[in-house]
Amino acid sequence: MPLQGTVFNIQRFSTHDGPGIRTTVFLKGCPLRCLWCANPESQVLAPQLMTRDIKCTGCGACVEACSRGAIVLSVDHGRIIHRDQCDLCFECVDACLYKALSVAGELKTPESVMETVKRDEVFYRNSGGGVTFSGGEPLVQHDFLYEVLAACRQEGFHTALDTTGHAPPRVLEKILPLADLALFDIKHLDPAQHKILTGVDNKLILENARLAANITRTWFRLPLMGGVNDSEEEISRVAAMAREWGVEKISLLPFHQGGEPKWAQVGLKSPGFVGHTPDDEHVERLAQIIRDNGIVAGIRS
Amino acid sequence: MTTMRPKGNIQDKLVNKAVRNIRKGGNQEDPGKSMYQPGVKLDLQRSVLLTQAYRETEGQPMVLRRAKALDKILSSMDLYIQDHERIVGNNVSTPSGLYFGIDMAWRSVRRVVDQEEGKSLLDDAGRKTLDELIAYWDGKAMSDIQQKTFTGEILESWKFENSGAMSWSHWSELGIPDYEKVFKVGVKGLMDQARARLDEIDRTVPPDYVDQKEFLQAVLISMEATLKYAKRYGALALEKAAAATDPEDKARLESIARTCSRVPEHPPQTLQEALQSFFFLHVIRYIEYSTLGIGVRFDKVFGPYLEKDLKNGVLTRDQALELLQLLWVKFHELGLIYSPSLSAIYGGVASLQAITLGGVDENGEDVTNDMTYLVLECAETMRTPEPTIALRYHDGTPRELLSRATDVIKTGIGYPSFFNDKAILPLLKKWDAPLKDSRDYAISGCVYLEIPGKNIARRAYGGIVLPAALYYALNQGKSQFTGKIVGAKTPDPRTFQSADDLMDAYSAQVEFFAKRLCTLENTSQTLYEKYLPRPFYSALLEGCIEQGKESKKFTYPSAVVNLCIMIGPTNVGDSITAVKKVVFDDKKVSMDALLKAMDANWKGYEDIRQLMVNAPKYGNDDDYADAISAQVQTRTAQAMAKAKTRFGLPCRGDGSGLSATYAAGSIIPATPEGRYSGEPFADATLSPVFGMDQNGPTAVLKSASKTSTVDSYNHLMNQKFLPQALEGNMKEVFVDYIRSWGDLGISQIQFNVVDKQTLLAAQEKPEDYPDLLVRVAGYSAYFVDLSKGLQDSIIARTDQSF
Repeated sequence: MPLQGTVFNIQRFSTHDGPGIRTTVFLKGCPLRCLWCANPESQVLAPQLMTRDIKCTGCGACVEACSRGAIVLSVDHGRIIHRDQCDLCFECVDACLYKALSVAGELKTPESVMETVKRDEVFYRNSGGGVTFSGGEPLVQHDFLYEVLAACRQEGFHTALDTTGHAPPRVLEKILPLADLALFDIKHLDPAQHKILTGVDNKLILENARLAANITRTWFRLPLMGGVNDSEEEISRVAAMAREWGVEKISLLPFHQGGEPKWAQVGLKSPGFVGHTPDDEHVERLAQIIRDNGIVAGIRS
Repeated sequence: MTTMRPKGNIQDKLVNKAVRNIRKGGNQEDPGKSMYQPGVKLDLQRSVLLTQAYRETEGQPMVLRRAKALDKILSSMDLYIQDHERIVGNNVSTPSGLYFGIDMAWRSVRRVVDQEEGKSLLDDAGRKTLDELIAYWDGKAMSDIQQKTFTGEILESWKFENSGAMSWSHWSELGIPDYEKVFKVGVKGLMDQARARLDEIDRTVPPDYVDQKEFLQAVLISMEATLKYAKRYGALALEKAAAATDPEDKARLESIARTCSRVPEHPPQTLQEALQSFFFLHVIRYIEYSTLGIGVRFDKVFGPYLEKDLKNGVLTRDQALELLQLLWVKFHELGLIYSPSLSAIYGGVASLQAITLGGVDENGEDVTNDMTYLVLECAETMRTPEPTIALRYHDGTPRELLSRATDVIKTGIGYPSFFNDKAILPLLKKWDAPLKDSRDYAISGCVYLEIPGKNIARRAYGGIVLPAALYYALNQGKSQFTGKIVGAKTPDPRTFQSADDLMDAYSAQVEFFAKRLCTLENTSQTLYEKYLPRPFYSALLEGCIEQGKESKKFTYPSAVVNLCIMIGPTNVGDSITAVKKVVFDDKKVSMDALLKAMDANWKGYEDIRQLMVNAPKYGNDDDYADAISAQVQTRTAQAMAKAKTRFGLPCRGDGSGLSATYAAGSIIPATPEGRYSGEPFADATLSPVFGMDQNGPTAVLKSASKTSTVDSYNHLMNQKFLPQALEGNMKEVFVDYIRSWGDLGISQIQFNVVDKQTLLAAQEKPEDYPDLLVRVAGYSAYFVDLSKGLQDSIIARTDQSF
C-alpha cells in the first residue's frame, strides 16, 4: 500500500497564505477544536460525507444507492441522512446528479498532490510564490507531509507550513527543515483562555513557536476575535516575543463568521460561537504596535 | 501654449455617439429605448454633396468619380472649430452628427428614422431631404447592387435566419494607413510619387495603362482635396482668431491656423502638427468610405515628437497631456449610424476605434517611451469607451509599464487589453508575414490584427456561429425552422461510433458554412472593387502608388487580410467533451436519448442534462476537457482554411465576438454541454462557458494555453476581477499574473474590473451610472447603453477573486 494522505482541498491561486501566487494543500485532521473553526470538515482525519441541501432536489437517487438504508426521503425535509448507519462507502455521492452530496477528504498519494501542485509552476516563478500546506493541522499527517515537502524541494518550489504548532517537537524538527517558511498561529497567550477557546493548553504551542523560529523563517498569524484576543496588551506581548525569537512578520487576521454553515454540512453541531470582527481602526492600531517592535505587520495577509 | 484647463472641463466635451443595442438576433429587445442619446443627429451633408458629385460625373470612370466626390465633400462640407479645440476636423459637419454611408446602404436607415427608436435623428425637413437622396441612390447603393448580384443559394444563405450558423454583412472596413511614411514625406511627397509613377507609365505604357492612369489621377485629386480641406480649416481658424478678444483664445486659434497651413502637406515638426496631420487623414479616410478603427501604434509613431517638443521646450508634459485629451474628445465625435440588427452585434459601439501601445520595433527592441505613459494617463483621466488601448506584451515589456497599465485597468474601463507577441508573432509567421512586418503589427479595433501601411484593410465581413454548426452536425444539416437541409448533409448521429465522428461532422459543417460565407464575401469584394474604389486610402498604403493599383486590385500576401468572427468555440468544446464522456466513455446515455432531450430543450430530461453539465469542462485545467476544446479550435481553423479568398488565401477566424456571442445564441436550440435553447454563448473564443470555471484564474489560463494560437487564429479572452484584486499588495500579484499569462503564450487577455453589486445597481438605476464602462468584447461600452439581456450576460461572467 503506497503512502497516502487525506486531503480535503487543493486551492490554487491562494494569495493570502505566504508570498506570491500559491497553491494551498489542505490536509485533514486537527488536535484543536477552536470555537470559531472555519473548516470544521478539517477536524477529523477520516473522510466525511458532506451535504449541500440547497442543491438537493429530493430525487431519491441517493436512497436507492445506499446499501445500508441510511438515507430516507421525507416529504418536508428532502433527504435525511442517518450518519450513525453510514459506513462511508460514498456510493450516494456518485449517484447524486446535482452535487448535493460530496466527500470531504480524498486519499491521495504524494505524486497525485504534486501533479496538481506542478500545474501552477509558471505562476510561482513569476510571483515568488509556491506551495502552502494547511489544514486542519498538517503535522498530523507528518509522514505524508514530509514526502510532499521533499518532492517540492526537488522541484525547487518555495514551501510554507501553516500550523497550529500543536505537535510533538520531534515532528517539527523533522518537518520544518524542509519548509522555507512557517506560518505559525498564535491564538491566545493565556493558557486557561486558550484551553477554553481551542480545547488545548498553549504551553506546547509557545515552546514550539520558539523552536520553529530557530529552524526556519517564521511568521506569526493571529486570528483576531474582538474582545477575546485583540487587546493592545496581548498584541504587545506577542510582538515582544516575536522580536526576541527573530520572527519576521505578524499577520493579523480579523475574524469572520464564514464557517458556520459547514458544521451542519458534515453532520456536526456548531459550538455556536458568536465572534466580533474588530474594527479597521483598532486593527490598524495593533499593526502599528507590531511595526513599533520592528516587525512587519500584515492585515489579512 | 496656454495654461492647462481643468481636466473635468475636457471630459465635459465628450459626446456619446455609441449605438445602444436594441436587438437580440432578429428580435426587438427593450422596446421604447432609442438607438442614440438625445441630441445626436443624422448628418446628411456628406450624402448631399456625394449625390451632387455623382450626378455631375455620370459616365466617367468610377475611381475618378469617387475622387471627385471626395473633393466635392472636402471643399464644401461645413467646418467647425469649438471653443476648446486644438485638434480639428470631423467626418461630419457638426459635433453631434452621425456619419451615414448612403452609398453603402440606406434602407435600414430609412426605416430607423421613421421609427420611435430613431425618430429624433432627423427633423421633417431632413426626412424630406433623405427621401430626395434616396430617389437617386435606390438601385445604386452597394447593398442594392449586392441584392441584385446575389441569386439562388447564395441569396438564401445571406439571410442569417435561414441557418443561424453564419452571418455576412456589408459593413465598414478597418485598415491602418502608413502614417510614418506620410510624416516623413508629407502629402506633398505622396503626390510627387504619384506624378513620378504617371511619368513612368507614360514611358513604359503597361497593358493596364488606362487603369493605372485613372487611379493615379484619382490619387492626385484626392490629395489635392485633402490639402484644400486643411487650408479651409486654417482659414476658418484665422477668421475666428481675428474676431477673438481673449488673448489666450486668439493664440489657440492662431496655433490651429499655423498647424493647418503646414500639415498634412508637409512632414510635421511638432506633436501638435503630428496629431493634426494624423487626425485629418483619419477623418478623411472615414469620409471617403464607411470606416472603423484606428490601429496606429501611438507611442511608436508619436513618441519621437513628444520627446522633441519636451526637449525643445515647445510643450510641457501637462500641455502634451491636454493635447491628447482634446484628441480623445475628437475621437468621440466619430459616430456612425447603425441598422437596428447591426446594433445587436455592435452593441455600445461608436466607431470601434483602438490604438496600440508597446511591443517591439523592427529590430525586436521594446518601443515603450514617454508617450506610452502619457496615453495611459490620458485614458485614466478621460475614461472614454473609445479609443480602447491594446498593449503589446513581450519579454522586454517594462514591469513599470504593466504596473501603470494595472492602475488604468483598476478604474474598470476594460482596457488596456494585452496582446502577446510571443503568440502573435509566430501566428503571423505561419500566415506568411515577413518578420519585419509582423513585428509592426497593431490592433485597429476590437482584436483585429493588422500591419500598418500594408494593403490589408480587414473587414469583419461576417461570423460563423460554431455551436450552430454543431447543431447541424447533430441534425444532418436540417434546419430547425423549416426542416429543409441548410447545412452539409452529414451522417445520422445515431450511427456515430465515437466523439471523433461528431468532431468530423462538425468540421464538415464549419467548412460548408465558411465556403458559403467566402462566396458571399468574394463576390462582394469584386463589387467593392468595381463600385467603391478608394483612391485616397490607397495612397496611404504600400504598393498602390508604386504599382498604380487601387487597393482592391491586389492583396498583402498573408492570411492576415481575412477576418471572420468566431462565435462559441468553447461551447462546442464542452459539448463534444460531454458527448464523449457521457455517451461514449461512460455509456450512461444513448445518442438517441440525448437528441430527444435536446429537442425537448431538456424539459423532462433534467437527469440527462445534469450528466452533461457534470462532465469535465474547459477552463479548469482539466486535460480531458481542454484537449477536446483545443482540438475544436484547430479543427475549426483547418475547416475554414479550405474556403479561399478571391486571391486564393485561406479563410481565417478572429477572436472578436463583439456582442454577437450574446445575440447569436438567441435562435440556437439546446446544445450538449447543458445549455438551454436561446442562452448566450461564452463571451470570447478562449473564455470558459459562464460559471463553468471553478478552479480559479490560474486554471483558466492553463486551459487557454493548451489551445495553439499558431494552429488556430488570434483569440480573445475575458477575465472578470473584483476591484479589490488589484488593490494594495494585490497589484503586484496581478502584474505577476499578467507576466505568467505572457509566459504561457496565450494570445490575448482583457479584464472587467467591477463588482457585481455595482452592475446590479446600475441595472436598477441607470440614471445614477451614466458613465459606467464595461468591457463587452474587444471593446468597451457604457453599461447602461446595453440591453438588459447583454447586461445579464456580462454580470454572469465568473468573478475571479483573490
